[in-house]
Amino acid sequence: MKKIHIIGIIIIAIALAVVVSTISNSSTYAPFKTAIENEGSTFHVVGKLNKEKELIYNPEVNANLFGFYLIDNEGIEKKVLYNGSKPQDFERSEQIVVVGKMDGDEFHASQILMKCPSKYNGNQQDQLKAVSGETEAAS
Amino acid sequence: MEIQYQGEHLGFGVLGNILIILSFTAALLSAISYYFSFKQKSELSNSWNPLARISFGVHAVSVFGIVFLIYYLIHGHFFEYYYIWQHSNSVLPMKYMWACLWEGQEGSFLIWTFWHVVLSFFIIKKAGTWEAPVMFTMMIIQTFLASMLLGLEFNGIKIGSNPFILLRNHADFANLPFIQMADYLSKIKDGRGLNPLLQNYWMVIHPPTLFLGFAATAIPFAYAVGGMLTGRVKEWVKPALPWSLFGILILGTGVLMGGAWAYEALSFGGFWAWDPVENASLVPWLVLVGATHVMIIFNKNGTSLHSSYILCTLSFILVLYSTFLTRSGILGDTSVHAFTDLGMKGQLLIYMVFFFALAIFLSIKNRKLLSTRSEEDPVSSREFWMFMGMLILVISAIQISITTSIPVINKLFNLKMAPPADAIDFYNSWQIPLAAVIALLMSVGLYFKWKQTDMKSMAKKLLLSFIVSLLITIGVHYYFQFDRIQLVLLLFTSTWAFTANLDYFIRVLKGNIAKSGASIAHMGIAFILLGSLIANSEKTVISQNRLNVDLGKDFPNNENILLYKGDTLPMGEYYVTYKDKIKEGIHIRYEVEYLKADHSTGQFQKQFSLFPFVQLNDRMGNVSEPSTQHFINRDIYTHVTYAELDDKEVEKKTNEGYKPGKKYQLSIGDTITTSNSLVVLQSLNKDVDKDLLMLLESDLVVAANILVMDVNKKMHQANPVFILRGSEAFNRPVEITELGLRFAFIKIIPEENKFEIEVSEKEGNSREFIIMKAIIFPYINILWVGCLLMIIGTWIAIIKRIKKLRTA
Repeated sequence: MKKIHIIGIIIIAIALAVVVSTISNSSTYAPFKTAIENEGSTFHVVGKLNKEKELIYNPEVNANLFGFYLIDNEGIEKKVLYNGSKPQDFERSEQIVVVGKMDGDEFHASQILMKCPSKYNGNQQDQLKAVSGETEAAS
Repeated sequence: MEIQYQGEHLGFGVLGNILIILSFTAALLSAISYYFSFKQKSELSNSWNPLARISFGVHAVSVFGIVFLIYYLIHGHFFEYYYIWQHSNSVLPMKYMWACLWEGQEGSFLIWTFWHVVLSFFIIKKAGTWEAPVMFTMMIIQTFLASMLLGLEFNGIKIGSNPFILLRNHADFANLPFIQMADYLSKIKDGRGLNPLLQNYWMVIHPPTLFLGFAATAIPFAYAVGGMLTGRVKEWVKPALPWSLFGILILGTGVLMGGAWAYEALSFGGFWAWDPVENASLVPWLVLVGATHVMIIFNKNGTSLHSSYILCTLSFILVLYSTFLTRSGILGDTSVHAFTDLGMKGQLLIYMVFFFALAIFLSIKNRKLLSTRSEEDPVSSREFWMFMGMLILVISAIQISITTSIPVINKLFNLKMAPPADAIDFYNSWQIPLAAVIALLMSVGLYFKWKQTDMKSMAKKLLLSFIVSLLITIGVHYYFQFDRIQLVLLLFTSTWAFTANLDYFIRVLKGNIAKSGASIAHMGIAFILLGSLIANSEKTVISQNRLNVDLGKDFPNNENILLYKGDTLPMGEYYVTYKDKIKEGIHIRYEVEYLKADHSTGQFQKQFSLFPFVQLNDRMGNVSEPSTQHFINRDIYTHVTYAELDDKEVEKKTNEGYKPGKKYQLSIGDTITTSNSLVVLQSLNKDVDKDLLMLLESDLVVAANILVMDVNKKMHQANPVFILRGSEAFNRPVEITELGLRFAFIKIIPEENKFEIEVSEKEGNSREFIIMKAIIFPYINILWVGCLLMIIGTWIAIIKRIKKLRTA
């Protein structure tokens, strides 16, 4: 019986370590405000692209620098710089999650996740526009 | 007044709905009959069995009927049905028609149901006394799954989502004005089509394989539950074992196919990204592998019965959990390829909780019978180490599950946790050491004997493979210079796992194929680990751009490179040219040529061409897909990360203006580059025809002879003129209209013997370019060979277990 107890304790200890490491390594969804207050720490910021402002991408100068303006869910806007090429169809994204940290007045993103309106079974609204647009033209 | 809609084919929908209701009620009736059938077992006649089988037959026919009907509707483009409109269109090639069937959630539930029916046929035919209890569980599962297609609504509670709903009745369309017109159907020109991302042969083979794998986990579950229900708490393990091996085989193949798909056709830049959806199918597989190992222990010495029960049921419940994760919309921001919620979240949750509760209830009820003898397996026994291996697999599964479940944890406790910023790195930091331990257990595992092992003779047998692996590890490490100790450890243990099992196959089994299932499957897993270790940790991005500003280690920004059309740039050992783009329908293919320099002749020699492409789709957005050149010892992966899709030619003609010029101070013979040519200042010419330029005789005039070579190696001449009239200097620029270049001779700097030339380019002159990424994956073929070995080995093991069942 003893051996099985020792093994049990080790397993529980490892499982606990997994939980602790997951919590301590996890990032946080936060607005820009929190990211600014904790400059240098990594956050996931959820927001929308400011479509009024320009997208900064000059591949002929630097193919690996892409910038845009993101408005977070609290309405704060920040310039985001991303260290890669401009993702396909970026303009069409509905919601954007940027992973990274504040550096001065800019947010340096190491990852961009986009929710596009129609990838997989996306938003139906967009499809509706496509269909009703066609019908208007037809009638 | 009722509108008389034109052109609809409502008969199919009516038939479809009848089949759906029939499949649901027949499954329920069959389950009930099977229940009474095994309760009645003690009596002489079994009157319930025929009814159970007949209702199963009706269920099977209905499910096949639904599958066939949807396929027929897709094939005939009946867009009055929402599901058909949403997932297919009339221009789709034949080969993707099936893929449309399972693109949507309803269809993927259907294909899952379909596999359960197919597997149930084998149970009915072969399971004998196990038929009733196993089929009872299967039919309960089917009842739940069939309810997913019902599409009924009671007091706002939605049960299932019906694939035969009409477009005009769907919530998104019902209120649109044009739907109220009798001829609305004629306004719907075409379906929405299959997502271009999924128009790929993988989409044809991967989902059915994965769902067959999912279906296969249901059978060991059904045996375990059936065993508890009928009081045969021990006997279920033996007949369930070939099925759990079958589950390992198919689910494993499905998971690996997903990886291969991601690698070949998606732009992840690798074959495993620890994406929540990938994880959700890996975890049940790991648990099933654990389950199979303890079932083998039980078969051998009668211990580990409780673990067998827990893991068999858990693996199926995890399949349900994975379905819940990917279909409830809960993954939301964390995964790129989860489904959105179709309002079935609650239903899926009930489904999962029901089977979880059932499994726990039966386990508590039978706890006394389930606990096997309490004496311990000695440390020198094979069963002890197999049990350890199972525990490591479970830990690995727990780690993946917890991290993947962060969105669920957030929901439960109202937190705002996000996945680790570098999720891949986080998973690897746990999974690599665990994999190293697993590999170590695989290398020594088979050398342990059941019950007790003579350690000395075991060490003697292992010595050869140990030394060989050590030498290989040293050699490989010397070659690649791994930067982390865990990687070296995994390298050693997985190499040893391969050599030890190979040695076992040759020297112990003497090449006896029939008994070699375990050793071949373990060799396969060892190769999968080894291949992913080398290909992933030693992959090199060869499209390095060294011109960029360094933004620090955390912010690497040089993995994409700009390539102008016609230019040749060095990448790794290659030179790469962007030759051309070819438009084929909705695909724009970019021809990227890989060259090698022949140093003796100074010429480039073409090695191969790759055609990464961008797929244009107005409704769904553009998708870019990589192209990979395969070699025996490595793959070269090329991906266009950005390209300007508008046509540059048009722009050029409409825009006449020049951009502000650039001034260069040149000596004779100096070369400069513009975006589209090489420019050489060859010489100066003082003998200029002043009359022709309408200049005064007294003017001092110097012309520059400029040679311009364009990308096609065509030569052009430009002779801008510098004029000194008294103390006033001015110039006459000249244009090369063909290239959109303008040259002006600004001034002479006599003390340095230099001449200032201004070069202006036309606005629309910038040449076409692509931004691309190229990655070399070394020795990735080890991984694919491993997959093959794993499949072969597991198959051999299944055959062996089936034979044992027959002789028993």
